[in-house]
Amino acid sequence: MKDYSDGASIDEARPTGPALAEESPFRSMMSLFDEAAAQLGVDPAIYAILRKPDREITVSVPVQLADRSWTTFNGYRVQHNQGLGPFMGPLRLAEKLELDEVRALAGWMTWKCAVVNVPFGGSAGGIQLDPKAHNRRILERVVRRYTANILDVIGPDRDILTPDAGTDAEMMAWVMDTVSSHQRYTENAVVTGKPVAMGGSSLGQEAVALGLETILRLALERYRVPVAGTSVIVQGAGVVGGTLVRLLHAAGLRVIGLSDSRTAVFSEKGLDVPALLEWRRLHRHLEGAQGAFELLTPAELLKRPCDVLVPCAVANAIDSKNARGVRARLILEGAHGPISAKADRTLHDKGIVIVPDILANAGGVMADYFEWVQNRQGLAWQPDVLKKRLARFMTEAWHEVLEVEQRQRVRLRMAAHMLAVQRVAKADQVRGIYA
Amino acid sequence: MSQAAVSSPSPAAVKDEFSPFQAMADRFEAAADHLKLDAGVRDVLRTPDRELTVAIPIYMDDGKLRVFTGYRVQHNFLRGPCKGGIRFAPDVNLDEVRALAAWMTWKCSIVGIPFGGGKGGVICDPKALSQGELERITRRYTASIMDILGPDRDVPAPDVGTGEQTMAWIMDTYSMHVRRTSTAVVTGKPLNLGGSKGRREATGRGLMFAMREALRTMKDMPAQARIAVQGAGNVGGIGALLLHREGHKIVALSDERGAIHDPSGLDMPAVMAWLDEQGRLPKEKRKFLDSYPAEHLVPKEKLLEIDCDVLAPCAVENQITSKNVDRVKARLIVEGANGPTTAVADEVLDKRGIVVVPDILSNAGGVTVSYFEWVQDRMGYFWTEEVVNARLEQTMVSAFAEVHGTAKKHGVSLRKAAYILALDRVATVYRMRGVFS
Repeated sequence: MKDYSDGASIDEARPTGPALAEESPFRSMMSLFDEAAAQLGVDPAIYAILRKPDREITVSVPVQLADRSWTTFNGYRVQHNQGLGPFMGPLRLAEKLELDEVRALAGWMTWKCAVVNVPFGGSAGGIQLDPKAHNRRILERVVRRYTANILDVIGPDRDILTPDAGTDAEMMAWVMDTVSSHQRYTENAVVTGKPVAMGGSSLGQEAVALGLETILRLALERYRVPVAGTSVIVQGAGVVGGTLVRLLHAAGLRVIGLSDSRTAVFSEKGLDVPALLEWRRLHRHLEGAQGAFELLTPAELLKRPCDVLVPCAVANAIDSKNARGVRARLILEGAHGPISAKADRTLHDKGIVIVPDILANAGGVMADYFEWVQNRQGLAWQPDVLKKRLARFMTEAWHEVLEVEQRQRVRLRMAAHMLAVQRVAKADQVRGIYA
Repeated sequence: MSQAAVSSPSPAAVKDEFSPFQAMADRFEAAADHLKLDAGVRDVLRTPDRELTVAIPIYMDDGKLRVFTGYRVQHNFLRGPCKGGIRFAPDVNLDEVRALAAWMTWKCSIVGIPFGGGKGGVICDPKALSQGELERITRRYTASIMDILGPDRDVPAPDVGTGEQTMAWIMDTYSMHVRRTSTAVVTGKPLNLGGSKGRREATGRGLMFAMREALRTMKDMPAQARIAVQGAGNVGGIGALLLHREGHKIVALSDERGAIHDPSGLDMPAVMAWLDEQGRLPKEKRKFLDSYPAEHLVPKEKLLEIDCDVLAPCAVENQITSKNVDRVKARLIVEGANGPTTAVADEVLDKRGIVVVPDILSNAGGVTVSYFEWVQDRMGYFWTEEVVNARLEQTMVSAFAEVHGTAKKHGVSLRKAAYILALDRVATVYRMRGVFS
């Protein structure tokens, strides 16, 4: 069915947001930002305004199914804050999607863009359906009708959609085509994560790994850890973790551990990364790979001593149960919310430095931003230009977070959250309240 | 030089000498004569395309309703959307706004940026209004001129009495009305709202480039020129600092109260640091150069007459006039302010062989970086300060070369050449586009 060559498949697409408490997703996502705002002394009345989403839309999406019966799905789009620019955020297809979860994702995007100085506000949307339960033709109808229903509030200067859990490059192309057909002109900047042929980014999903590599180098420099020979354990061997180990191995770091959902491999001397990745490319899993390494369970791998640990797989990979066993000097959050709040405290007490997800894995949002810029310019940047600019933005964000960390004497995670709140509050303040 | 021309100027010249707009009109006519523009085209270029007057009713803080008057004049769309400042001042009037709009047309044309000229203003005294009142005035004024505003129509910028905050309000009002984010509708915005790096220093930096290029064309100028700068703000102060960094000697600097003079060269970084510090003090405690701990304090009027190679008047209009032009010792004048040299003084300087780099060229750095801001907003991607500065340099260097080339070709002053070039470009576009009807 999917014959496009460069897009992400549904399996590979990663959710954009953090781990959320089921009962109160928005409130749990906001808790650290609420704390950041209080510490910054943002006027509570102003913060109350910027905390609440600007606009929430619920639409009914009627579609005829394969058996010619009709059904309606619920569609949502929440636009959280446009102080810094047009909204941008994911489009998610999930069976159990609730409005409050969409709201949380939208808020998360506002802060995420603000930390890395990307000129967008945050939004999120989704359709309540199980993408695996329908064929592509039905999904196409659903996505097109959903797009038509929210047409008035989306656009390159209004709200830009990106792929997320359950959506992929081809679906972004459907959105783009629907918008363009309505507008009577090509409007590719309305979505990012498109196929390259339609103006998608040539970096694809490697952007997250490239961003992680930049941040890791900066962190090593700051904590005076030499690059060569530094030992790294990476959890996750997919497009983020896999690309990252390839980059780190090439840069002379010692990748001593790698895992996917079933298997973990470990070697104190360093793994033969190219061989493992080749095995995984051919067999889809690390399982069965041969070589000079120990075979472990993914859970055991997290307990091995290393200089740097990069969890790139799932949320809450490190929780209150296993946090005590972690023996890394530095943790770089490649996934969203890989460390639970309790574990965060435990690791901090152990003196482990944590570079938070909102900064570390921002390479993805950066690539989305660059894609939008290139679409507006009508000019595709060369891959080396893209990489250079990505590194520049990540480096600037790193230094800005450090500045807040030093000025406010807080941890990196809190510093990043404070930087985000400060930027959005400042934009809202200079723009004033429209009336 | 002809003393007679100075001591007994014609009565007409005396009457009009201190109207910078009259001066511009005269220069326009002279350039049009030189280009032999026919009366029709001349009329088109002289007449603003559109003038809008709007009533701005707002509730004052005391609950009373007051109506202010606002203007927006769009002088010329031929080379692109209109571009020009919005001023909030008690003495704003349509005539002035009209003249300033035309001025912008020529300025944009000289530096080759794709804009026509526009200007706007509201009759009010910003010092007597609260922030809330200013915000309401700005928003209502924006809403009232909405129909003729837009990134492809007319792009305002800050001017007297307005600043970054005003531009942010305009951007927000416009964006809310069009239901999308539109940063490119104004320039001079805060950095986190689509503003450009290097904008604050742009005019001073442009001045430095213009002066550097002018010095290169002059024989017998020392590699390290002795420069006197009138004005210590964004144009004069920053210009002087950059020239100092280029290796020149700033021998004198003045502000609105006083002047400092040191023939061996001022320590510019120290002077600017002192001024910055004084500028941060509360209004009543602010200090000016007349209390600078310098060896040589001089009355500010003397600055223009100080012994130097280059003079840069970067303060206000009508500084070099029939009254003091004879005492000017510089061999090169680079105008940072708008209209600092009167037409009468201009003639005298020309006769004395003193080179004048005219305002519409030498202070165009500001509008150039405004243009860069608009470009960056349209693509949504922002340049580093180095890129902004490098492109500004490129623009100023090539504009100077073109004006200088025109001056040599026609055997006229740089000022006349600048007007000839500006008019010719607009007139050429006019002929190509034809008359729409």
